[in-house]
Amino acid sequence: MKFKSIVKNGIITENPTFRLVLGTCPTIAVSTSAANGLGMGLAATFVLLGSNLVISLLRNFIPDKVRIPAFVVIIASFVTIVELLMKAFLPALNESLGIFIPLIVVNCIILARAEAFASKNGPIASAADGIFMGLGFTMSLVIISSIREILGAGTWFGAQVLGASFQPATMFAQAPGGFIVFGFYIAAANLIVGYFEKRKGAKA
Amino acid sequence: MEQAKFVASSSPHVRGRQTVQSIMLDVCIALLPSALFALYRFGAYSWAVLFSCVAGSMITEWACNKLMKKPNSLKDLSAVVTGLMLGMCCPPTVPLWLPFVGGVFAIGIVKMPFGGLGHNFLNPALAARAFLLASWPSMMTTWSNAVDAVSGATPLEAYKLGQPAGYSDLLFGHVDGSIGEVCKIALLVGAAYLIIRKVINLNTPVGFVVGVAGFAWIFGGYGGLFTGDPLYALLSGGALMGAFFMCNDYTTSPCTPAGQFLMGLLAGILTGVIRRFGAYVEGVTYAILFLNVCTPLIDRYIRPKAFGEGKAK
Amino acid sequence: MNLLKFSRGGVSPLHSEHEGKTLTEKKPVVELPAGKTVSIPMVQNLGAPCRPVVTVGQEVGVGEVIGEPLGFVAAPVHASVSGKVIAVRDLLHVNGKLLPHVIIENDGEYRVNSALKAHTWEEVAALSPEALGKIVLDAGIVGAGGATFPTHVKLSIPADKKVDMLVINGAECEPFLTADYRLMLEQSQDVIDGIRLLMQILSPDKALIGIEDNKPKAIEAMQQAGKGVPGVQVCVMRTKYPQGSEKQLIEACTGRQVPSGKLPADAGCVVVNVGTCAAVADAVLRGMPMVSRITTVTGAVREPKNVRVRIGTSFSEAIDFCGGYEGDVKKLISGGPMMGVTQFDDGVHIVKGTSGILVLNAGYANYPDESSCLHCGKCVYACPMGLMPLKIDLWSRKKNWEMAEDYLAMNCIECGSCSYVCPSKRHIVQGIRLAKAEIGRIRREKAAKQKEGGK
Repeated sequence: MKFKSIVKNGIITENPTFRLVLGTCPTIAVSTSAANGLGMGLAATFVLLGSNLVISLLRNFIPDKVRIPAFVVIIASFVTIVELLMKAFLPALNESLGIFIPLIVVNCIILARAEAFASKNGPIASAADGIFMGLGFTMSLVIISSIREILGAGTWFGAQVLGASFQPATMFAQAPGGFIVFGFYIAAANLIVGYFEKRKGAKA
Repeated sequence: MEQAKFVASSSPHVRGRQTVQSIMLDVCIALLPSALFALYRFGAYSWAVLFSCVAGSMITEWACNKLMKKPNSLKDLSAVVTGLMLGMCCPPTVPLWLPFVGGVFAIGIVKMPFGGLGHNFLNPALAARAFLLASWPSMMTTWSNAVDAVSGATPLEAYKLGQPAGYSDLLFGHVDGSIGEVCKIALLVGAAYLIIRKVINLNTPVGFVVGVAGFAWIFGGYGGLFTGDPLYALLSGGALMGAFFMCNDYTTSPCTPAGQFLMGLLAGILTGVIRRFGAYVEGVTYAILFLNVCTPLIDRYIRPKAFGEGKAK
Repeated sequence: MNLLKFSRGGVSPLHSEHEGKTLTEKKPVVELPAGKTVSIPMVQNLGAPCRPVVTVGQEVGVGEVIGEPLGFVAAPVHASVSGKVIAVRDLLHVNGKLLPHVIIENDGEYRVNSALKAHTWEEVAALSPEALGKIVLDAGIVGAGGATFPTHVKLSIPADKKVDMLVINGAECEPFLTADYRLMLEQSQDVIDGIRLLMQILSPDKALIGIEDNKPKAIEAMQQAGKGVPGVQVCVMRTKYPQGSEKQLIEACTGRQVPSGKLPADAGCVVVNVGTCAAVADAVLRGMPMVSRITTVTGAVREPKNVRVRIGTSFSEAIDFCGGYEGDVKKLISGGPMMGVTQFDDGVHIVKGTSGILVLNAGYANYPDESSCLHCGKCVYACPMGLMPLKIDLWSRKKNWEMAEDYLAMNCIECGSCSYVCPSKRHIVQGIRLAKAEIGRIRREKAAKQKEGGK
């Protein structure tokens, strides 16, 4: 598989958030601030990279019947690593992400890539897939959480951006706001991607 | 054969006079008494709030139609009605940008993305109110700068504090509250107009009133069962506004007589539950929004009894 | 007075605009002279068509059979004028199809066919119900209200059913039409005679004449004429559309509901239009088959009139007789404004079921643009059959015929109340008609397949 198509797959054509609509639970729950979104995205990327690599290496040794438990054990190991690292070095972020870090274990994106890609491809391609899937996820999270943070608190990565007179709409920091922004994000992203694909199709 | 000179179409060849536009205009007229009372009670600023709401929703409707390349739907007046309804449930003290944002939210997020008039699954005005309430809770619950206000408490808050307002004050609007909700007489006049013009029927309102009053009577009191004050519950807060103007919004309420009554009843009961046991003092908005979501379900299972079914000789 | 009404739904079309009936309700019925030729369609009833039995050049008299039925559910067609048959060919029919017509050159003499036989009451008393039924069949009598269901079929009650009520339809609930009203005023005795004859065939306990309360004079006339006839009773009903629909009329007059998917006979009733009653009296007592009828020519014509026309007269002749079109005419309707059928051309010919010719001008005849369904439920309230028209229409537009059937599309009587009340001006009946046609097709296909499988 070509490297370029892996990149494109991860970021656009099979973007886990707006194309596959996977991992929506952390997407809505932790995207309250841009920092949270970025942290969550990078943590998931790290786990994806690690699990994809290891599963790809072990793909010929894992018996088919117990592959899901095996995948989960591998994923859980990486999640534990991330969690411990975060506790040690980013305690504030760990605090705000809370339960959603351990919950990466059952994140659909990671299990889906393990099942759909890593268990069928070589280690290098799998690692690349993990990175770019992770980056696609991170991108979506950062965009959604930026919108929510700016509208819901008037700040971006904690810095005041809309001036002191702005009255933040706190609903965007709450769950309903998450759903609304998520919905509009999916719509907008598909609109833009669809536009470019149509243009490309017209050219070809 | 020679060129046909007549138009051929499916029957019926005559149609009733009521149109979407005439219905919306009737609703606007029905809201007029409340608006006039607001002008008298809260001053010109309250009209500025209403105007800001209407402007927000109309501009958004126009923009959404442009964006989605749909025909302009401003002339059916539904955006005006949405704006007015939203304005009616804002406090008279809010800064003017807030109702405008509410109008934008009602049309731009609740109504148009789902396909515009007839396709929204929530009442746009109420959804926008919930949004405003969740986003700027302090502004949306600051009532008092009215001239003769005793305190900053709405009748419902006062009731919870054990100092209820008098019935006549409630009826004639000498209390604090949202722009259009304080004067019950004005609301009832508007509702009567809608009923006479056959714009609304009584199924949903009656269900709602029964639900609110019944629940308040049975569980609303603080001295045990059946000690509540049903009349007070009806005359305070947004109960009447909800019953006659919000709950029976066409698109988001069931379309069968039994379904409409059921929806009103459940919304009324839920209002009572939120008022009595919830964290909020007023529950009309959330109760109706919840039942809006249940509407397709009610419509699916409650159907009218068809002619000749089951009642054989 | 306690007015009778069917139990649910209904609308009051154009009530505030006097229903359009004032145009013609005071105009006595006038004879419309037949033109130089009349073209008599071979399809004039619901069910099977007729086969022309005359040849070109043949001389016929008034009342002579020119078309014989090709099935049980059909009635013969008779010549309405005397003269020479000049052609048998396909012409445009009011139902929009090209169908065979027998064209007769009118000699203006109106020679009555000598084979016709009138009966006196004494002779009638000696006749058996079957013999009377045969006279009705031979006279080619079909439902004059517009549905044109052959009357003799209605009168042949299967042995396992008992009819104890004869319901006479004098409701005329369609706006604009006054033909039945004038008939009841001017020929009340004929109507009552017809009822007596029908009672002799069916021997019901009672004959109820249902008339809406917006026709007080007709009520009075019928009460007067019906005095002394045992079992005959006039039921005064509240003016409400579609009171003249069979099932609604039965409910209003007798309180019985015809079970869904069944016939009036299942509720012990037979419904006959007042016009049909008069035709029965004509056929039995005067020997004259159904060769003419009363029609209201109204709307955008210079002099709206109630006319007695011979079957086979063209619409344009009738309209010319009434002073011609007035203003910018847009729609020509055979029947009333609620259920009538629009015509492409005024060259079509009057049939036994043409209760009215309505011309609508541009102001009335607009075909409104639809907007989205508001889900207001007004159609649910208006539906006399207790259906949810908006849902059937919705599923019909999505071509989901199973769901349309699930919402009881087949129960729809196409009265048009839902489209009438719809504030969004949606063409609901049109959608339901499509669904009904498709469901019917699917059912037939299924039945055919089963038959094949059985073999």
